[in-house]
Amino acid sequence: MKEKGLSYLIVGPFAIVLAFPFYVMVITAFKDQTEFYNPAINPYWFGKNSPTFANASFLFHHTPYLTWLKNTCIVGLCVVAITLVLAVPAGYALARLAGRVGQSLGVGIFLTYLIPPTLLFIPFFAVIKQAHLTDSIWSLVLVYPSFTVPFSTWLLMGFFKTIPQELEDAARVDGASRLKTLVRVVFPISIPGILTVVIFSFSLVVNEFVYAFTFISPSAHKMVSTGVYTDLIRGDLPDWGAIMVAALIPSIPLALLYNTFLDRFIAGFTGGAFR
Amino acid sequence: MASSDDPSHREGRYDRRELLRRAGAGAVTVGVAGSGFGQAFYGPLRFKGRWLKGDLSLITWAHFVPAFDDWLDKTWAPQWGQQNDVQVKVDHINNTLLPARAQAEVAAKSGHDIFFDLAPRPQYEDNVIDHNEIVQQVQHKVGKIGRIAHKATYNPKTKKYFAFSDNYVPDPVVWRHDIWNGIGMSPNTWDSVRRAAPKLKGVGHPVGIGQSAELDSNMALCSFLMCFGSFVQNAHHQVTIKNKHTVEALKFMADIYQRGETDEIFGWDPSGNNNFLYSGKGSMIFNAISATRTPEDRGLPFANDLWIWPIPKGPHGRLGYQHVMGCWWVWKFAANKAGAKKFLADLEIHYKDAFLASKFYNFPSFPGAFSFKQIRKAVAQDRHRPLGKYGVLTTIAQRYTTNPGHPGYANAAFGEMFSKFMIPQMFAQVSQKKMTAQDAVNAADREIRGIYTKWRKLGKI
Repeated sequence: MKEKGLSYLIVGPFAIVLAFPFYVMVITAFKDQTEFYNPAINPYWFGKNSPTFANASFLFHHTPYLTWLKNTCIVGLCVVAITLVLAVPAGYALARLAGRVGQSLGVGIFLTYLIPPTLLFIPFFAVIKQAHLTDSIWSLVLVYPSFTVPFSTWLLMGFFKTIPQELEDAARVDGASRLKTLVRVVFPISIPGILTVVIFSFSLVVNEFVYAFTFISPSAHKMVSTGVYTDLIRGDLPDWGAIMVAALIPSIPLALLYNTFLDRFIAGFTGGAFR
Repeated sequence: MASSDDPSHREGRYDRRELLRRAGAGAVTVGVAGSGFGQAFYGPLRFKGRWLKGDLSLITWAHFVPAFDDWLDKTWAPQWGQQNDVQVKVDHINNTLLPARAQAEVAAKSGHDIFFDLAPRPQYEDNVIDHNEIVQQVQHKVGKIGRIAHKATYNPKTKKYFAFSDNYVPDPVVWRHDIWNGIGMSPNTWDSVRRAAPKLKGVGHPVGIGQSAELDSNMALCSFLMCFGSFVQNAHHQVTIKNKHTVEALKFMADIYQRGETDEIFGWDPSGNNNFLYSGKGSMIFNAISATRTPEDRGLPFANDLWIWPIPKGPHGRLGYQHVMGCWWVWKFAANKAGAKKFLADLEIHYKDAFLASKFYNFPSFPGAFSFKQIRKAVAQDRHRPLGKYGVLTTIAQRYTTNPGHPGYANAAFGEMFSKFMIPQMFAQVSQKKMTAQDAVNAADREIRGIYTKWRKLGKI
């Protein structure tokens, strides 16, 4: 009991500090516009005209927010699919087949992830133009795997290394092909790693800004990250209420996803750490 | 049990080959119908002015007065497009993102036909058309281009207009009359500002002159330097920043900061000072009239206490840059150059509507498009309190506003210096006590000279 109390004492302040921005986001999302600029009203609680759904109503009825959400979902799902198709076999191959070379290749692949988008967006823009994909969400489907695949490959490589070789050997002795071994033995016990890749890739797509801003101009084709920033700052004044609603909505499923699979997510990230 | 060969059972089911065949036929049908529909829909009107044929795309900022964007997107562009049988597509992005977007479009040699930014970008001279034709066309209709616009968009060395300016925005000081009145002072001179700043901070309402890497700080501090007799370059485009006036100005501003401002001024973006004012905390900022229009529109409690005045007078007088120098340019790689030229010319020739839509924010770069006399008359109709407060804008525009790069032209070297925010950086170094005023001036001078040497070698100045 005493130990538990100590744990809460340590974790409690962290939880409060980390949850505070979300609390402010929720309060602001349902606050009346006039109360943002009235110093007499407590910024951390509602005034007499709040809570209100006016900000949400504005967002849904006067901006293409639903289209931004749809675009983000389409790009996110496509990027996750591409990432899995490329990173799972690559991670496995590097973990199992290439020995020391695989280790070096793995590090090399990870290093490409470290090149910042601010260096790459201009050359990528030329590529996108060549592909006639400017102002299209497919430009992002093409480009985003350039940073999701390297990291995911590296992550999965570490994870696959934690799976005992003996398990695969046993399956091979029983007559399973390498592909069958992969599908029947390796993948089922790699779910935490694969899930981590899914969540990680999708989160990156939702958060990414530089490419989404550079490649796409029309409001109707924007992602949530760019639409909120470019279309919800009206004049010289950010529309705080609508911005907070816009940020709150995609954060809810992501938060649920993280919390539901928290244990597996941690296992996925730390899988290769003890090898 | 029905057999799979039973026709009644097979109805509505396809094997893979049949499915592909039908999908292919469907795709072709949709494609052909879709391409035909475009012509059928537009009918004979499509591209009636063949020389303007095609679409026209432009990208501009999300205007600080949203009513202007409504007018541009929903009235002007569609009407102009209809009259010229051109499909006009207008994209808006946040002003801070424009430079990166321009850089990307130049690198890819692809993007919008027309690009807009809030300051001249002479560094793109080789990537844009000569806008002289547009200038001549507008001059033919409404008279001579204004001095500010000419010196901000023309390169006397190459004899080329590297941009077309449709508007500029006077940059007044916006101040809370109620708060200043409370301490019995007003921002008429820089000396008054310095004396008032500690008192204002003492009553919880500091002044807010940005020293950050952003446009408003850049404009305000360059203007501040001019009031002290310091100029980045002279009329012959030689660097003149290193002088005793600059040192004096730096010390003066550092004193204002240390006694009358807060450190948030170092982290502002272009809307930072606006938010500072709207929060009810700020007592004075440098901004265009969007800073008064927004409180009016939102019904903020102090909207009627916001006064606008010309820039405070310094030892060298009262002179400032415009707040925004609206510059459009047509890329060399633009797909519809003819349409772009006509669009810009027509926009300026009919600038009265733009001026009114911007709620007096955009002053026409060609004074004949809507004269100062007409502006004064229009401004007098404004009913916001204090009545007649916008009348001072014409005085500011006519007497106290000049171009970036004054007394010279806004050349490529000045443009690069400006876009690197070297002036705010110089001020911030001194205000934060990281450098002495003299050292900061020496450092800025070295860096600016390097930039000028580079552009001189490239033959642009």
